[in-house]
Amino acid sequence: MRLSVAPSVWVLRALGVLGLMLALLAGVPEGYTPSVVLAVVVLLGGVLSAFRPDHLAVSVTLCIVVLWWGLQVRTEVPLGCVVAAAGLVVAHVAGTLLAYGPPFMPIPSDLVALWAWRGFLVWLAAPVVWLVARVYADHDVPTSYWLAGLATALVGAVVAAVVVPARGGQ
Amino acid sequence: VSEGPSRWHTSGSLARALAVGGFGVAIALTVGRPAVVVLVGPLLVAGALALLRKPEHEPSVLAHLSHLQLYEGQGTRSRLETSGTEDAEFVTRVMGQQPFLALHPVGGAVLSRADDVRPIEISPRRWGERMVGVEKIAMTSPWAGYRWGPVALSGREMFVLPTVTRMRSGGEAPQPIGLIGAHRSRRVGGGTEFSSIRAFHAGDRLRRINWRVSLRQGTLHVESTRAEEDTAVLLIVDALADFGVSEGVGGSESSLDVTVRAAAAIADQYLAGGDRVSLRVLSPGGEYAGYGTGTRHLRRILGLLARVRPGIPRDVSIEQIDFRATAGTVVVVISPMLSEALAIATVRLVRRGLPVMVVDPLPPGSVPQVHPDPAAQVARLAWRMRLLDRSHLLAQLAAAGCPVVPWNGPRTLEEVLRRLARRSQLPRIGVG
Repeated sequence: MRLSVAPSVWVLRALGVLGLMLALLAGVPEGYTPSVVLAVVVLLGGVLSAFRPDHLAVSVTLCIVVLWWGLQVRTEVPLGCVVAAAGLVVAHVAGTLLAYGPPFMPIPSDLVALWAWRGFLVWLAAPVVWLVARVYADHDVPTSYWLAGLATALVGAVVAAVVVPARGGQ
Repeated sequence: VSEGPSRWHTSGSLARALAVGGFGVAIALTVGRPAVVVLVGPLLVAGALALLRKPEHEPSVLAHLSHLQLYEGQGTRSRLETSGTEDAEFVTRVMGQQPFLALHPVGGAVLSRADDVRPIEISPRRWGERMVGVEKIAMTSPWAGYRWGPVALSGREMFVLPTVTRMRSGGEAPQPIGLIGAHRSRRVGGGTEFSSIRAFHAGDRLRRINWRVSLRQGTLHVESTRAEEDTAVLLIVDALADFGVSEGVGGSESSLDVTVRAAAAIADQYLAGGDRVSLRVLSPGGEYAGYGTGTRHLRRILGLLARVRPGIPRDVSIEQIDFRATAGTVVVVISPMLSEALAIATVRLVRRGLPVMVVDPLPPGSVPQVHPDPAAQVARLAWRMRLLDRSHLLAQLAAAGCPVVPWNGPRTLEEVLRRLARRSQLPRIGVG
């Protein structure tokens, strides 16, 4: 028997694709316009993410968007970044919800509400960082500042690698 | 239902959050792009929160079925018993799709909170052997950072009994020869059916005296009644092949569906009346139940019917089968009569003087399942020729004194049994 995909799954798939496209196109009003080729690549990645939410391609597509933003902006911090962060959160949350079960399983509304709230809470980190970055935008940042940040990130990565067991390990 | 070993492992969601977040931070720090931190900040927070809720307890699960035996169309629930789920937030249950097994929710997939796992409702839609309760279980930690499973749970093999339409037939057995039962006998004895009024004999019960007639005649007269006896019923079930499409309860029926359900209904009907019923299935399994009575015997017959698989008997040919039908046994052959050997065996039983009737279970318009190949036209033609042979065979059976009736519910046999009973009471001419 062939089972049909639940309507809630279709909605989440659409939200995932829209989230990715929003993350890419959020800078258009401020003059950060991606090429058509890149938009098509992200769209295809979004579609793949919608159908294979646990696939590596999902992370790669998100990284492409992040990389594009990294190449476009320099030291400035446009407001579009906050909107793009919302798009990335929506894509991530949609992928997380889709990975809870097979496509024919309806996603309960209470779970969607829970993750919508969680998504909103974590997104709040974006405007906070944006505000901090805007405050310090006109100040000169010493090289040691970036090196200290890099060292912190590396320590964080090592700690995360120790805490997080490898898949199928233990 | 067993449980399989599993461990918590990182989910795709956590891997994605950390990978993208780490990638963004690396770009931001190496190239000096504070805007990228704005982008990946939320993902890093989500990843960090998921890491903080790393599970420590290993859960275990066990599935239970509310009922271990079901009739087709009935339903049961599969409940999940969990322990060690303190670190789990949601539980995903996905039950395997099986033919003739309806699940609710549709698809058998349920996502519920770990402290309130929803049951899955299961309903077998056709009699027979069914594997019930095969499922996979997965658990997710808060913030979806870790996943446990999916763990496969093996199901339980269940023999689904055919439905029994309970209806007391008004048809009487043609030649009841048992000791006690509900059928009107030809001999006089203790019963409720009026037979005659005759002169009082020594040993007659006083409560049988008819005072009105006795006063009129001047001597004591008593009312005599017909004895009530049970009968023996032999059900011969033809499971040599299955024709037509089966869609389960409420859908279209194949010939074997009709056969099995008819056998179950007839067995229930006679056993409820206190008769002795025997079952002989012509199949590779050769299911057989001797003469017996009561509810327990009915369960045994239904259980045997649930095990029926179509095919040719392996060890014995139909001509050699001893049907163990003694005098007076009502023989009901449920068969589409597409086997000449069975038709010959039926005629042999008729010639022994037994009341035999054939119930035709072949649904109208049913065709055998053939492989779709260029010879499909030939197969259709062969089936038509086979049906012509069958109609000729059924006419010959009827001419030999064996009524053939299509199955039309539990009341199918009533009229036929009445006719057979009338025929058995007619005077016979002895020859030789």
